[in-house]
Amino acid sequence: MSKFLLLAFRNVFRNRRRTMMTLFMVSGGVAGLLLAGGYFAHMIDSLRESTIRNGLGHIQIFTAEHFQRDEVHVLDTGIDNWRQVAATVKAVPHVRGVAPRIEFYGMVSNGQKSSIFMGSAVDPDAEKSLGFTSNVSSGRDLDSRPGGEVEAIIGAGLAKSMNVGVGDGLTLLSVTSDGALNGVDVQIAGIVTSGVAEMDARYLRITLNSAQRLLQSDRITNLVVGLDSTANTDAVYDTLIPRLTGLSQQMKLKKWIDLATYYKQVRTLFNGIFLFMGLIVFFMVLMSSVNTLLMTMFERTREIGAMLAMGTPRFWIVALFMTEAVIIGVLGAVAGVIVGNLLGALINISGLHMPPPPGYTVNIPFLVEHVPSLMIGSSLLVIVSLAFASILPAVRASRLQIAEALAHV
Amino acid sequence: MDYLVKVEAVSRRFPLDHSYVSALDDASLHVSAGEFLAIVGPSGSGKSTLLNLMGCIDKPTAGRIVLDGQDTSALKPARLTALRREKIGFVFQAFNLIPVFTASENVEYPLLVQGVSASERGKRAAAALESVGLLSRAGQRPDLLSGGERQRVAVARAIVHRPALVLADEPTANLDTHNATQLIDLMRDLNRSLGLTFIFSTHDQRLLEHTPRIVRLCDGRVASDSAADGGSNE
Repeated sequence: MSKFLLLAFRNVFRNRRRTMMTLFMVSGGVAGLLLAGGYFAHMIDSLRESTIRNGLGHIQIFTAEHFQRDEVHVLDTGIDNWRQVAATVKAVPHVRGVAPRIEFYGMVSNGQKSSIFMGSAVDPDAEKSLGFTSNVSSGRDLDSRPGGEVEAIIGAGLAKSMNVGVGDGLTLLSVTSDGALNGVDVQIAGIVTSGVAEMDARYLRITLNSAQRLLQSDRITNLVVGLDSTANTDAVYDTLIPRLTGLSQQMKLKKWIDLATYYKQVRTLFNGIFLFMGLIVFFMVLMSSVNTLLMTMFERTREIGAMLAMGTPRFWIVALFMTEAVIIGVLGAVAGVIVGNLLGALINISGLHMPPPPGYTVNIPFLVEHVPSLMIGSSLLVIVSLAFASILPAVRASRLQIAEALAHV
Repeated sequence: MDYLVKVEAVSRRFPLDHSYVSALDDASLHVSAGEFLAIVGPSGSGKSTLLNLMGCIDKPTAGRIVLDGQDTSALKPARLTALRREKIGFVFQAFNLIPVFTASENVEYPLLVQGVSASERGKRAAAALESVGLLSRAGQRPDLLSGGERQRVAVARAIVHRPALVLADEPTANLDTHNATQLIDLMRDLNRSLGLTFIFSTHDQRLLEHTPRIVRLCDGRVASDSAADGGSNE
């Protein structure tokens, strides 16, 4: 068997120039996939972390009722004893902090014109401690210092619609938890831009205390849990489930991935693009290798005839050609992984940036992640591609008529 | 009498356009074990076709060939492959050594195909190379050997598994007279010392001086057989 492998290995280097061309193509394909896949992985990971940091958190806690029915009055499916729940969650390892939130809606007026808003109430200190930030384009973010005025930050679209700016006042009207109408005057502390026009046209954020006064309720909609690392999400989730069982309200936990719809759409898109690239590389290697391996087969016709004449089983010839192709695939994959990682490292230290995507104003750093699963997957892809490419030449070689093959010139 | 090879009324026709060309026509030949036999004749007389048929690498259009008691026309391809592997050694006109193998590895090859262990292969390959006087060149690849040396390696490869029959199709065609004579002498020595049956084809009359039996082919037919004629060439 070792002699058979030795024969296959030496045959690979019989025509070095041709083998080098094939290796160059195979390794180029692998390196290309690693660079593209590494960049996509960086983009996806960055999007994941920014999605989490922008307020989604790693885990969100709601009441189970929140998902079972629509609210009749605001916050009637909210968490009642949320401070106790928050304290329980904070005691779990890897939890960096817990931020209470209220989601509400109502009308906003500048005295002359009214519009609908989608409100979010937060504890600014808790948000800051978890690193959750708002994209404030002018003014400043909310702070929790008690003051005479109720502060708000609003979306750029809403500010434009209401014709207001930082320091101006607005009146919020909302239905309380008892079904009564309540109102509060707010001063605009900052304008935010999310990049999504529909969101910016309705967005408004005030402090938790202000919202509870407006809504006449101590409840909150949900608790957002921030962890020390995204990798610990599943472990903390599994720890929290039993600890939040048996409370007066039944709780329901959602991982970030269950709530990150945009992230999942982008990831699916990138995966689709990468799959398409992988298919291109697969067929590129397949088609060019079939030609190369057929040339090799024709050149060795008389030698194969002699081997068959000496009693070599025909399946040995098939195995020999396929082994040679797989060896080229393995060598090309190894070279591709080395080249791909080296190029990736060079790109990472070069400090290159990509232009901002639509809706963004900041250049995105062009970074390539080194992903082991990508290296293994890309390598397997080209090895399988070469193995497929060798089937036709291998079968043709094994079916040669011996007498004709020996007379081949 | 038990013959090693019995060629009985064998014909071989090849299709050519809408017709046929007859390479062998009703040829018969009996070869006993241990014989040293030359098949001679002009180009196109059917020498290679007859050797291919005896070597089980081609099938006759008519007639039958019995090798070591087995009717080869009745055997399935896998059994024919096994028969070639175990009973026949081949020496080709163009040597047909595996270029990426050393001389020793080339000689080992028939044993590798038979599944012989590595240590046993090494011993028997060394002995075969020694018998053709090339043990010192065992580690050389074919491209570093002369034409004569390459053909001697091919002879060592053909005898390493002690086949019942060694077939050599024009083994001297690519050699000069000196090397050609040496090769025929070597095959004759191996025939005598090891008792192997050699059948070779040639169109070079000078190589036939010490060949005990000569079969002449002409237009696909056996024109003469020195054994049948009652004479010996030696």
